[in-house]
Amino acid sequence: MSTPRTSFGRMALNGAAGLSLGFILLPLIFVTWLAFFRQEIPSFPPEGYSLKWFSAVPGNKNFVEGFVLSLQVGVLATLIGLLLGVPASLALVRHRIALGPAVNTLLLLPLVMPGIVLGTSLYVFQIETEIATGLPLLGSLAGLVAAHTLVVVPWVVRLVTASLQGSDRSIEEAAQNLGAGPLTTFWRITLPSIRPGIVAAGLFGFVTSFGNLEMSLFLVGPGRITLPIAILQYLEWKIDPTVAAASVIQIVLIGAAMIITDRYVKLSRVV
Amino acid sequence: MARLSIEHLNKKYGDLTVVDDVTIDIADGEFLVLLGPSGCGKTTTLRMVAGFVPPSAGKLTIGTRDVTTLPPWKRNCGLVFQSYALFPHMTVAENVAFGLEMRKVSPADRGPRVAEALRLVQLAGFDERYPRQLSGGQQQRVALARALAMEPDVLLLDEPLSNLDAKLRQEVRVEIRDLQRKLGLTTIMVTHDQEEALTMADRLVVMEKGQVRQIGTQRELYEKPADRFVAGFIGRSAFLDGEIAAPGRFRTKGGLDIACGAATATGAATLALRPERIAVADEAAGCANRFEAKVEHASYLGALLDIHVSLSEHDRMLLQIPNRQGAAEPKPGETITIGWGQDAGLVYPRED
Amino acid sequence: MSTAAPEAVAGARTGLAGALVVPATIFVAIGLLGPIAILFRYSLNQFIPGQFMVDGLTIENYVKFFTDPYYINVLVRTVRVAVICTLACLIMGFPLAYVIARTQSRFKNLLVMLIVLPLFVGNAVRAAGWMTVFGNRGAFNASLMGLGLIDQPIEIMFTETAVLIGIIAVNLPFMVLTLQSVIEGIPRNVEEAAFSLGAGPSAMFRRVLWPLALPGILAGTILTFILAMNAYATPVLLGGPKFQMMGPLVYGQFAQQNNWPFGGAISFILMTATILLTVAAHLIVQRRYR
Repeated sequence: MSTPRTSFGRMALNGAAGLSLGFILLPLIFVTWLAFFRQEIPSFPPEGYSLKWFSAVPGNKNFVEGFVLSLQVGVLATLIGLLLGVPASLALVRHRIALGPAVNTLLLLPLVMPGIVLGTSLYVFQIETEIATGLPLLGSLAGLVAAHTLVVVPWVVRLVTASLQGSDRSIEEAAQNLGAGPLTTFWRITLPSIRPGIVAAGLFGFVTSFGNLEMSLFLVGPGRITLPIAILQYLEWKIDPTVAAASVIQIVLIGAAMIITDRYVKLSRVV
Repeated sequence: MARLSIEHLNKKYGDLTVVDDVTIDIADGEFLVLLGPSGCGKTTTLRMVAGFVPPSAGKLTIGTRDVTTLPPWKRNCGLVFQSYALFPHMTVAENVAFGLEMRKVSPADRGPRVAEALRLVQLAGFDERYPRQLSGGQQQRVALARALAMEPDVLLLDEPLSNLDAKLRQEVRVEIRDLQRKLGLTTIMVTHDQEEALTMADRLVVMEKGQVRQIGTQRELYEKPADRFVAGFIGRSAFLDGEIAAPGRFRTKGGLDIACGAATATGAATLALRPERIAVADEAAGCANRFEAKVEHASYLGALLDIHVSLSEHDRMLLQIPNRQGAAEPKPGETITIGWGQDAGLVYPRED
Repeated sequence: MSTAAPEAVAGARTGLAGALVVPATIFVAIGLLGPIAILFRYSLNQFIPGQFMVDGLTIENYVKFFTDPYYINVLVRTVRVAVICTLACLIMGFPLAYVIARTQSRFKNLLVMLIVLPLFVGNAVRAAGWMTVFGNRGAFNASLMGLGLIDQPIEIMFTETAVLIGIIAVNLPFMVLTLQSVIEGIPRNVEEAAFSLGAGPSAMFRRVLWPLALPGILAGTILTFILAMNAYATPVLLGGPKFQMMGPLVYGQFAQQNNWPFGGAISFILMTATILLTVAAHLIVQRRYR
């Protein structure tokens, strides 16, 4: 079946794909490498290897506090995003609602809205809200969570609507035919059948929030910065194995979260 | 079990009428098949009975209950879906028990009823499997068991066999029919498969363009099709276009004069003939209508030979002759004598 | 088979649907459209040094941007970088997306995870990786000098090249994932049909795969273009203070100059430029291929 020519084409294709994959992974590989250097200066080849930089990470107040804040914000924004997004997806897919397509577009809009624009506009919005209500919003946890929820909702809507569209509508009808009312049908049939979509939405929402940099830059306050901003500020000053070790910890945590999620829902089916 | 009556049922989507004034009475324990081409409204009719499509007009009665406006979960119609619609996250037993659970049957009483339903469909021992671990045929049986377990007043089957392969389909037909008789279940099945309909039904309803064309037994539909559509849809028919020249006389476009008993009205009409009722060669002797026909095309079909002939420039028809041992096979170009009795043809007003 | 259009189940009430969808809609409408409206209003205010922001209704912030060669230069550079990065992502992303979409390998899921992981790790960490590679004593220069190919390190850090490479690597996963999902939706047998009709691999690609994948190509291109236009961490870390792009420029106006009206105006120009160029690309592609 495969002539020499097509197998050559096959190799060229695989080669090109491999190069692209390598290009994507290269920065992660090097940052991981750097984390194990013995010397502090990132010069190649390394003089030797050491694990000492990993013990230096917990001593860096910015990294630790940034991690805790990112975790708090990520978890809260994901939960609120799910609470808002799952019912909305349900209504969009299962009911005919007025202006359905327009609502759908609106809910997905934050996904394509540039982080810089979101950040600046939310910054002025929070200032105006503070002036109007007297509540200290800017730089507060609540303000940060609200903003992050805004970028979590579109992920939830996108993944859960896709999951709903993919789930066989007739199993809901079957449940009703067997005597289940709408609420029972939702809890016993619909929800389990879209669980993979919800898990994926939770993961994507959390990671989007956890890694958000541009928008958060405008919304963090003094002494309250997220992990990506802590890393950015450190890198603006210098690159050394300590920040690399912090990055590796982040890579490992996110990788672990992905592998755990993958047990519930194959990532290749939801991305 | 109960009788089901569908009265003047109507469904419109905007200006489009999908189901048009359908009235059917189904007796207690009867197996009724809704048959028709794609888009004829049979599935919509079934879904209205199940409660998934609200009717635009009409009335549905199960036994003595008016169910027209009841939601699906209060109708007690067991529906077997075309795609089976098994709950993928539940085991076979949990699927079958679901309807009982919804009816607040205690867990202790559910077990024996689930086991009984699975035994009926010959799936005893499959309780703990998940649907994805079953073959298509087994999934179909689970869907059936699930509908039966809740002891429905009416069983609804929506093309239940269309996803099975041909051999399995023939077996399952018989099984479903036996089960339905044994349980005395009032049943409606929707199908577009004519053979399936003919083998399973007590009575059939032929639908087209949202309307009921004819209700009757297999024999009634085949022997006395109500109109040209039914004559063409149930079995095969050879059609000759023309007009009724005088009572009992039909004149084709090509000018042939045919004796036919039933024709009384005048005007443009179509004569329908069953291909196997047309006699050939010596057997045509003594027929009221005899013509010389030129063979245009002959197909060998094993038990039968399909022969396309032309009687004149405008009159072409199909006939079927049994493939008897030693019988000569007509060749294209040959001229043969064909004939039929005066009651063999049915005349319908022309539908243009 | 069913002739019935999908229809709300009997008993599903529109009131319920409203209750489900309204909270999210209100949240996004207020959280997204409200702020953008206020930002636009701010961009029409005046900035007087020492007095901070003064309410006004003036377009002078926009005039200032478009009459100062420095700012125009930043905009042009940003667009140039975004266009180059987007094209590079398309060219580099297609083979990888195709291979992943068509592979039967049990490692497919692993491949997808390897592409998603960098996406999740964030821009700053990935920029750190490139900083390790590009530095004067970094992996790249050290390898070349070790091989004796060069005597002096090549300056890559704080150049446009570094920024381009950084942004391409950041955006490539988005392109790959978008294309992959679209290619997976194209049945394999249309490719086989094209081959059986005598099309070679390149003709098949041009006449069958490319047109069918076009919606995904468009979606991926738009996404990567928007991200490249608005890049922040990569130009800051790999481009340095002298390499200005629109993202860092906006941040500087807000955080360092406290000039909200001008920052708002630049932010708006950035958003408008992004949208206009996206729409233009959309129209050009549509005209050529529809």
